[in-house]
Amino acid sequence: MTDPGVERELEAMLARSEQTRARLDRLHDVLTSGGHYGTGATPAAVVHQENKLRLLRLLDESGQPRTGPPVLFVPAPVSRYFIVDLLPDRSFAGHVARAGFDVFIIDFGTPGGEDRFADLEYYVDGLLRRSVRKVSAITGQTSINIVGYCLGGTLSLLYSAMYPSTVSRLVLLTTMIDGDTRGGIAWVAHQMGLAGESYENPRLVPAAEIKSWFEMLAPGSNSLIGRVNDLWERLDEPVDRLRDVRTMATWVDDVVAAPGRLLAELYQQFGPGRNRLMAGTATVGSRSIDCAEVTMPVLSVSAAKDLIAPADGVDAIRSLVPHAEVMRLPGGHVGIVAGRTALALWQRTVEFLMRNVK
Amino acid sequence: MSESDASKAEPTLVERWLQDQQQWQRTLFTYLDSMMKNDEFLMHMGNAMRGSLLAGKPYPTTPPPAAASADDAATADRLEKVLYALHQLQGQMQDVLMTLDEIRAGAKATRLKPDSTKKPARRARAAAGARKTGNRRPRS
Repeated sequence: MTDPGVERELEAMLARSEQTRARLDRLHDVLTSGGHYGTGATPAAVVHQENKLRLLRLLDESGQPRTGPPVLFVPAPVSRYFIVDLLPDRSFAGHVARAGFDVFIIDFGTPGGEDRFADLEYYVDGLLRRSVRKVSAITGQTSINIVGYCLGGTLSLLYSAMYPSTVSRLVLLTTMIDGDTRGGIAWVAHQMGLAGESYENPRLVPAAEIKSWFEMLAPGSNSLIGRVNDLWERLDEPVDRLRDVRTMATWVDDVVAAPGRLLAELYQQFGPGRNRLMAGTATVGSRSIDCAEVTMPVLSVSAAKDLIAPADGVDAIRSLVPHAEVMRLPGGHVGIVAGRTALALWQRTVEFLMRNVK
Repeated sequence: MSESDASKAEPTLVERWLQDQQQWQRTLFTYLDSMMKNDEFLMHMGNAMRGSLLAGKPYPTTPPPAAASADDAATADRLEKVLYALHQLQGQMQDVLMTLDEIRAGAKATRLKPDSTKKPARRARAAAGARKTGNRRPRS
C-alpha cells in the first residue's frame, strides 16, 4: 500500500503536469489559429504609390470601394500602419468604413538607406499632401476627413495648418503637442541622445535603436525573461484573448527604421526645450506654421495611461486650437486604438465625423 | 456499486500517470508536426517568446555583409543622395500628372455640362439671320 503522503505529492505532481500540458496545448492553438498580425485585416486596393508609400483604399465585402465621405488615416511613419487595421474584428479603419465612410490608409512602408535624407517637408508637403490630393481626385471631394495617430497626428496637424481648405474634419489621436511635458517617447529619446542626431549628415536610424527608446519607457517589460514569463502566466486565458495579446505585442515589436533627418528636425522643432509648436514658431520647409489656420472641426483624444505620449502633453492642444474638442479615454497609447476597449474611441470618432455630414 | 466498477470509474494513480505520459507524447508530436508542416509556426513561436524585431518575417539565414571600405561607403553615400533626389523628382512628377488629370477632368466636365449659354447664342444667331432674310419661324 502507498504512503498517503507520497500519494498526495504524486497527485500534486500530476496536477502540475496536466496544467503545464494544457498551457502548451493552448499555446499551440494560439500559434496555429488564424488572424495573425498583418494577415487578417480588411481587404484593400493600392490606389497610389510614391517611394515606399502606399495609399490603400478599403474595400467592402464584395470587393468594391465604398462611396461615403472620404476619411484618410495617417499612422506614424516609425511603426506599421496595421495598428489601425489590425484584425478583421479589431480594426479601427474597418469600423469607420462599415459606418459608411470611404476609408483610405497611408502605409509609409519601410525606409531605405536613401530615405535618411527625408525631412518634415518631404513627409508633410510631399507624401501627405499628394496622398490627400489623390483621395480628393478619386472621391471628387475638395476637402476630406483626416485621422492622424501619434506622429501621424503631428504630420496631419501641420498639413491642416498649411492647407486648411482641403481638410473638412481633423481627428488627432495621442498626438503630442507640448514637447516640454515630462515623460513620453520624445523625452526618453532626448535622454538617450537624440540631440546628437545630425540634420546635415543624417543616418538611417536603426529600428533596434528606436525600439530601445520605447523599451526604456517600461524597462524590463520587453526583455526575453519578461516576455516568456508574461506569456507563460497568460496561457490560462482564453485563446481569443491570447491571440489579441500576441498580435498587439508583435505590432509593438515591429518598429521600422526612421530617417535621421526627420527625427533630427522633429527633435529640433518639437522636442523638450524647443517646443516650437506651442511657441507658434514651427516651420515646414520655408513655410511658417500658424495653428490659427486650423479652422476645421478638430477632435483630440489622449489616453490616460499613455507612456509614449503623456495625456497632459496631448491635451495641450486646447491652448493651440481653442475650438478643438478634447477627450481623455482610459487606457494606453495602443490600447485605446486597437485594444479590447477601443470601441469607445471608434464610436466617438464616427460620431464626430458624422456630425454635419450632408 | 461493486468494488470492480469503482476501480473502472476511477483510474489508479499509476494509470493516470501513464495517461499523462501519453498526453505529453501527443502534445510533443503535435508541436513537431506543426514545425514540419507549417513554415510560419516556428517564426510565430519565436515572436511570441522573444521581443523580436523580425516580427512577421522569417529569421535571416544569410550572414550580414562584411563592413564596406571607406571608398565604397562614399560611393554608396553619393548613390543614396542621387536616389533620394530621384524620389523627390518622382513626387514632383506626380504633382504634375495630378494637375494634368485635374485639368482634363475639368475640361471633360465642361464639355459634358449642359451648356446654358450656347443655345441662346445659337438661337440669337438664327434669329439675327431670320431678321436679315425676313424668314421668320412661325410661332406655335
